This record gives sequence, C-alpha cells and structure tokens, in this order.
Amino acid sequence: MRNEQAADLLFAQSRPGCRAVRMPECDVPAEAVESLLPRSALADRPPDLPELTEPDVVRHFVNLSTQNMSVDGNFYPLGSCTMKYNPKRNEALASLEGLAGLHPYQRSETIQGMLALLHSLQEMLGEIAGLDAVSLQPAAGAHGEMTALFVAAAFLRDTGQNRDVVLIPDGAHGTNPASAAMAGFRTLEVKSTAAGLVDLGDLAAKLDERTAVFMITNPNTLGLFDRQIGEIAEMVHASGGLVYLDGANMNAILGIARPGDFGADMMHFNPHKTFSGPHGGGGPGAGPIAVAGKLAPYLPAPLVAKRGDHYTLDFDRPKSIGRVRSFFGNTGVLVRTYCYLRTHGPEGLRRVAENAVLNANYLLSRVKDCLPVPHGDRCMHEFVASAQKLKAERGVTAMDVAKRLLDYGFHAPTVYFPLIVREALMIEPTETEGKATLDSFAEALQRIVAEDAGLLHDAPHTTAVCRPDEVRAARQSILKWTAPSM
Amino acid sequence: MPYIPNTDDDRRAMLEAIGAESIDELFEMVPREFRLDRLLDLPAALGELELQDHIRQLADRNTAASAATCFLGGGSYDHFIPSIVDFVAARSEFYTSYTPYQAEASQGTLTALFEYQTMITRLTGMDVSNASLYDGAGAAAEAVLMAIGATGRSKRVVTAASVHPEYRQVLATYLANLDTQMHIVGTPGGALAPEELDAAVDEQTACVLVQHPNFFGCLEEVEALAAAAHAKGALLIVAFDPLSLGVLKRPGDYGADIAVAEGQALGCPLSYGGPYLGILACREKFVRRMPGRLAGQTVDRRGRRCWVLTLQTREQHIRREKATSNICTNQGLMALRATVYLAAMGPHGLRSAAELCLKKARYAADRWTAGGLLEAAFPAPTFKEFVLRAPRGSVDELLDAAAGERIMAGSPLECWYPELADCVLVAVTEKRTKAEIDRMAELIRSVLG
Amino acid sequence: MTPEELLYRKTHEWVAVETDATGAKIATVGISAFALEALTDLVYIDLPEAGRKVSAGEPFGEVESVKAVSDLYSPVAGEIIEVNSALTDQLEGLSEDPYGKGWLVKIRISDEAALSELLDYAAYQKQCQEEMADD
Repeated sequence: MRNEQAADLLFAQSRPGCRAVRMPECDVPAEAVESLLPRSALADRPPDLPELTEPDVVRHFVNLSTQNMSVDGNFYPLGSCTMKYNPKRNEALASLEGLAGLHPYQRSETIQGMLALLHSLQEMLGEIAGLDAVSLQPAAGAHGEMTALFVAAAFLRDTGQNRDVVLIPDGAHGTNPASAAMAGFRTLEVKSTAAGLVDLGDLAAKLDERTAVFMITNPNTLGLFDRQIGEIAEMVHASGGLVYLDGANMNAILGIARPGDFGADMMHFNPHKTFSGPHGGGGPGAGPIAVAGKLAPYLPAPLVAKRGDHYTLDFDRPKSIGRVRSFFGNTGVLVRTYCYLRTHGPEGLRRVAENAVLNANYLLSRVKDCLPVPHGDRCMHEFVASAQKLKAERGVTAMDVAKRLLDYGFHAPTVYFPLIVREALMIEPTETEGKATLDSFAEALQRIVAEDAGLLHDAPHTTAVCRPDEVRAARQSILKWTAPSM
Repeated sequence: MPYIPNTDDDRRAMLEAIGAESIDELFEMVPREFRLDRLLDLPAALGELELQDHIRQLADRNTAASAATCFLGGGSYDHFIPSIVDFVAARSEFYTSYTPYQAEASQGTLTALFEYQTMITRLTGMDVSNASLYDGAGAAAEAVLMAIGATGRSKRVVTAASVHPEYRQVLATYLANLDTQMHIVGTPGGALAPEELDAAVDEQTACVLVQHPNFFGCLEEVEALAAAAHAKGALLIVAFDPLSLGVLKRPGDYGADIAVAEGQALGCPLSYGGPYLGILACREKFVRRMPGRLAGQTVDRRGRRCWVLTLQTREQHIRREKATSNICTNQGLMALRATVYLAAMGPHGLRSAAELCLKKARYAADRWTAGGLLEAAFPAPTFKEFVLRAPRGSVDELLDAAAGERIMAGSPLECWYPELADCVLVAVTEKRTKAEIDRMAELIRSVLG
Repeated sequence: MTPEELLYRKTHEWVAVETDATGAKIATVGISAFALEALTDLVYIDLPEAGRKVSAGEPFGEVESVKAVSDLYSPVAGEIIEVNSALTDQLEGLSEDPYGKGWLVKIRISDEAALSELLDYAAYQKQCQEEMADD
C-alpha cells in the first residue's frame, strides 16, 4: 500500500539535526576553511539541502518506486523503444570493481581487460552493421545521429563538396531533423506513400547536388522494412549523397540483414534497445556509430586500437571531427552490450530478431480485428494500430485506450507517433515476451474497445493519479519545490 | 536462448494464427538479395557460468582505482558513495522503466526528477535545472548553444585555457559546422585574468565559458569575470564541481547565467568515464531555451498533486529541426543516483566532504612540495586538485615509480598543454588518508631526491 | 471590427487596415477564432519587440499548446510599431476576444502588395470548412 507520508517530497520531510551520513574526522593537520581560501569565494552557510536519516531516504524512494511500471514488473509494449528484458547477469558483471571501478585517466597497462572488451565490441558491432569502422563514444542514439552527421559534414568539407541538405522521411523520429540542424544542415522532408514506404518520386525530386545525406529508419517507424532500399541507396549515391541508417529498429534484422549490405554508409546503434541495456527511467543509453571505410578517418577520437598483444587508445587521428563527449563514453552501458552479444552469439542474435518479428506479427493478427492496422497484415518487430474509427464512432481516442491499458496492468503503447497515422498506437512486444502475455494483452484490448466510453475517458482508475493537467503544468511552470509560505 | 519464453509449440501455434508457413516467410519484406546467407562472424554464445568466467578474467586484467591509491581527477573522481545510492538505483521499478511519457505509470521517476531539479537549483542558486544531460562537456556545449540563441549573437564565444580541455574539444566539435568562432584566452598563471577576459569579449560575443574551480584546480575570480562578460552583454556560463559547493559560493550568487557541471561526483561510480550526468541550470528567463527534459508540477483530475514532463515544445519530438537540442534521453538513472546521494549527504555531509577534500588536498600539496623536489605550478588558491611541476623530464619516472607502488599519482598534462610538459594534475578526495599522502611523499623523496 | 470586416491570411492570421493621422497605413494583426479552437489550450505566446521590420509571409512569433508549436506569419511587409505584450501573462484574452483584446501586433505597412493576396471573410470561411472536412 502507498505510504503517503514517505512519498511526500524529501524537502517537506526535512528535520533539523537528522543525518544519514557521518563523514570521518579530518586526519591531516589543517587550518580552518576560512584561512585556506579567500573569504569572497566561500559560501556563508551549508548547502540548502534537506536533512534526513537513512531510513527516511530509503522509505521515500522505495515508495516512489512502487508508482512506476517497469519491464521487470509489466509488459511494456512501448513502440519504437524496444523494452525488452534486462538480463541480471549483465548488471552484476558490469558492476564488478575491475570494470566499474576504473578511472578514465588510468594508464593503459592497468586497463588492458577493459580495452580488450571495448576493442572486441567495436569489431562485433562493425560485423553486425556490415560496416568498416566503429566509434563507441556517443552517449545516446540521438547523440550518435549527430556524431555521424558531423562525420558526414567533415567528409564533405574535406573532399571539397558543397552539400548542405539532409533529406528525412516524414515518418522519422524528431531526433533526425534536430540532429541534422545541430550539424549545420538544412532539412527537407520526403513523403511516404500510402503503403508507408518512401515515395521514390518525391525522393527523386528532392535529390540534387545539394544533397548531403538521406536519413532512413529501416525497418521504419510503421514497423515495415522498406523493400525499395536497394533502389533508394542507388538513387542517393548516384546523386552524390550518403545514406544514414537510423538503427532504432535493428532488433528486427539482427543477423538477418546488414545495413552496410543494403547500402548504408553510416548508422547508429541503440544498445539500450537492441542489446537490452536497461532504460533507467530515460537513460543512460549509448549510441555507437558504424561507418564505411571512406568515412572512418573522420570518426571521433579516440578509438581502441590493438598493437600486437597490447590495446591502446588511438588519438592520432588527424582528420577526426574531435570529441563529442568527455572521457571514453558511456562505458558501463557498453559493457552490458558486450555481455549481451557474448551471451547470444551469432545464432542467438538471429533468433532474437526472428522471435521479435514473430511476436509482433502474432500480436498484430490478434489486435487488428479490434483496432485496425492501416499498413497491412504483416510487420517486422512492431506495428501501428489506429483508433481513428473508434474515435469517429464512439469518441474514444488512442490516449483513452492507452490509459485504460494501465488498469489492466500493461504499460501503454507509444501513442500519436508516427505522425503519419491518425490516433496511432505503436505496439512493440519484443522477443522476451511469451505467447501467453501477448494473448492476455490482446484480450485486454478487445475488452477495452467494447467498454463504456465514459469509463475510458476517465481511465486510468487504479493508478495513484489520473490524467495530470498538462496545460496547467505548462502555464504554471512549477519546476522545483518551494517551501510553503507561513 | 535464455530470454525467449516461447517454445517450439508456441511458435507453431503463433505461425498458424498468423497464417504463415514459417518464420522465414515473415521476413518476406526484406529483399532476398540483402538477406545474410551466413551467420554473423561473432564469437560463439556463452552460458552464464562461462560468461562470468570470461568477464571476470577481463576485469582481473584491470587495476581498479580501489585496488590502488587514486590521485586521478580531471572531471572524474574517486569520491565516497553511500550504500543506499546503489540500493535505490538497483530497484527494478527505476532501472527497467523508460521515459515518463505516461505520467500515471511513472510518478516515481517524475517525482525523483522534480526532486533532482529542486536539489540542483538549491545547490547552485540558479532558478531552474533541467532533468540532466549526458555529461559535463555536453552540458557546457549545450549551454553555449543556448547562449547563442538567447543573445542572438552567433559569431563569437569566448572560453579559457583553464577550462577542461575535453570540454573545449567537445565545444569545438559542436561549433565546427556553425558560423561561430571559439576564442580561447590563455591562462599562463593557472587562472583567467579578468582584464584579459575583458579584452577578449566584444559586443558580438554570445557568452564566456569558464570553469570554477578550473581544470587545474584553481579558483577563478568569478565575480570579476561575470562583470567583464556582462559589461558587453555576454552571458556567463560556469562549469562548476558540485562537491565544491559544500564550501564555495554558489554560481547563482556570483552572477552565472547558466551553470553546468559533470555530475559524476554525486554518487556515480568511475566506470571508465561513464555513464555520468550533465548538470545544466539557468536563470528563469532562459527556461524556454533549455535543452532536455523538465519535470513540472501540476494536479490530476481529482486535484491531486502530481508531476509530468513539461515545456515539451522545446524538444525534438515536437519542434523537430527547430528544437533547442536534438537530445532525447536524459541520464535518468544517474540523476536518480545524484538525488539519493544529495538526500543522504544532506547539507552537513556535503559540507564535510568538501572540507575534507580541501584540507587533504592542501596537506598533500604542502607535503609533496616541502622538500623542494616538486613545486606548485600556479599560485592561485585551489580546492581539491592542483598542478605540480617536476624537474625537467622526470614526470614519467615519477609516475612509473608510483604505478609500481600501486599509486595512481596523477595525470600528465603534456597531451593537452605542451608548455606544461613537466606538470601533473593531482586530485585528493575525502577518501584519501594521511597515510596514503605520506606514502606518496616518501616516494617523491626516493625517486627525485 | 467584426470578423466579417477583416482580411485573412491562409495561415489563419487576421488583418485590419486603418489609416493613421499621418496618412500611414497601419495593419492590426491577430489569430482567427477558428485557429485558436484548433490549437486547443494555448500555454505560451512569443511576440516580437516593437521596431522589428518584417516582410510579408515572414514568421514574427509563435504560439504553443502543450504538444504543438505554430508560427505566426506576418500578412504584410512593414515595421512592427506596437505589440500587445499584455497577452503574455493573459493568454485567456486571446481566446476570449480574438478580434479585440486578442490582437497581437500593429504593423506600419511599407508595401501593400501582399494585401491583395489576403482572403476576405467568405473565402476564409470556405477554407476553414475544407480543413474541417479533411480532418
């Protein structure tokens, strides 16, 4: 049961004199702080933080945690996010002191095991991508996109090409155009066909001597593999542009098809999706990128290099774009990725993709009768259903359905994305769910679409809060706690 | 496979329901010519027992900082982490959930982010904090982009050689494709001279990025630097060390417009450089220029107080190419760690830790320079880090000898500052003991004496 | 003025043109009631500072709802001479009285060419009906 008192904000629970931590006495002879530093630099009081005991803090956060749904507790079919099971062995191994306890500026002879692991990971990701070189530095998928576009810009500059336009399909994640803008490119949107694939006519009309990069998510955000990819890559390359593959949906094609083989010049991975790194309530992730040989000189420095039996960080990369992050990167996430890949091996990775696609198709076959799936009866790892008919007939929206699912113990699918489907519910089961779970989810949906509209408008009914007022949040902008006035 | 629950019978039944002959048929959308006709060339699968052995062997080839005496710093520090930080961060409900888009299913994460934002604003004296970015360097670069937008001055930004070299490298990469010049003011004295900053800032300068305490550990004359920046209408961005705020004045109190930090010191393991978190806080008037997520307070239909992600129109999923940044995730779990850390340390714990850092660092600096074999490279007052100058050509010898004694004695500065080829950056945290500092003093005497 | 007397841009800004004492033509610009309804609950408006010069069709500000941002486009070329900055704190004024208290900016027109491209009330109503049918 929810403990209201413990769930109250920490600041409201603060009581003068409470301590959770006692620091040791100073064991060196020292003068007072005021004589060690200029007074003008010093704070005149201790930091303005709450005073609490250890049990206060633990009870507070344990109570907060019970207000979250999570992959460990619930089916979490959040489309595009690949919320698969997070293996516990990876958590335990990544926490080993010999990995988690390394300082980023240690000398290379004291981190040979870590560098060996990271070097092997570079090679494995290159093989999965079908591309020549890998940088592990980017800290997230969007960061990887931006890094790859920096690489593209450096390559174009270095080879004397004045190309400044990035083409992006209308179904793409918002990160694509935002990353392109941060890399100094202009963006142009390419239309999708009614079938949900790239409109080749529109692409042809927009490709020209200004085209720097075409960014494509394949499988795309509708859960479809764009079978025109060979032709698309040829068109882009013929116009002198580069093909970027947004690897958000790699879970569907692991060991089945490689981006480098179907024409991509560069791509990013989302290890927190595809390779089961936990999502952590929204990070940390990582965003390694893989590129074709001609782009390799521009990758961020350092890369891990092997010289004989010795591993080193290679900073000697004169054409490199430089750094996009301090230190090595989100190494802890990369260690989990390595563990995941070593657990699966080549057969296992292929089976991941096969079962992710099987689960999505099975769920689609069970869902389509109650919620139409506008883009066909087959999909890859996810599909997008539409509540448009439900809305027209009964006034029930995709959001109503999503909220009601919470009452049945399921996390909601992604709603209202991609933008090209009305009343979208984007559903991605992943391979780590079994048939029985998919069946009960489908049954819940069938029940929900038949429920009283009023009941659905007022859902969820079982959570601690219901439909927070987002307009009020945005208008008031209360972004921190302030003490109630007396 | 260990994480795939379906049996062969399940798969048969599912294929039948789909109306497909085989799983292969489901991949019909992928043209044959692009299907891999072989297995990936990857090492064979390992069971958990084998994986444990393999990873432990790799880990055993490393020397953890805890298995040595660590005087390494430069933005990542061997600070004390209370046990409850790991305990809370290991709760499944926190670490296996995702971005709190469905507020009803994520009040735990949203409340914690709101508490994080509150703690950061109180710690820094700034008006608003976002819910975290990737790391300190990225936060500094994002702050510069914010300042360019806020001032409408896109031609010039000014920073100092005393700012972490990797932060400057990241900033240079972010600016390389934009029409913005990055001017770096030299700091031969270890800290930025306000009159030199004044000369470098003009009416076209968007902002000044300084670090305080700076990369060399020295305090900057931040009030004078703020005045120099503001006199020309430029914003002051300060990269601070969160732990230093146990004793030092807050960025909001000396005129910072945007305050950024590497948050690793707040309860994140060293982890060979990441994951950490980037802290970014600013004055109220810049809130709509902020990158990244923000949790905001509201009420639900029944008037109950609760939290949601708010001001999302700044972000990429709505504003796309016009977004304040392309950032999508924050570092949610690391922000949670920082929140638990600050809750556990409290005002007095944080103050004690900061005082211990300061006092032990001062003791170490005095002790190691006492015999005249090493000297302090810069005269400015320092917090927990400082730069030592060794006799010409003896840096490697000293660090090698220390490594032999399992002492990670410091970072040589030559790779970033050729003019400081004989210098070493040293950090002393609250975890270092008098015995460890004295042992290093002995080593200095025996190697250089 | 009543909605029937105004001119409209296709992007849903309304315009009222008057001549001031010096003979200069001044355009008062706002957002139509139809657009305000479509945007649902507004949470923020970003307006320019007086003195800015705009060309016809150039964005001069933004309105935001929780999940959407819309640019505001200038229907005419000229200099912005007055801004209804009271709206920033009183967004309700916009939806309560879009053609009165809800005005956004006044522009001293420098080039009247764009005026001829604006829609009259009947043509604008027709466009709105078509948009509704699409939805």
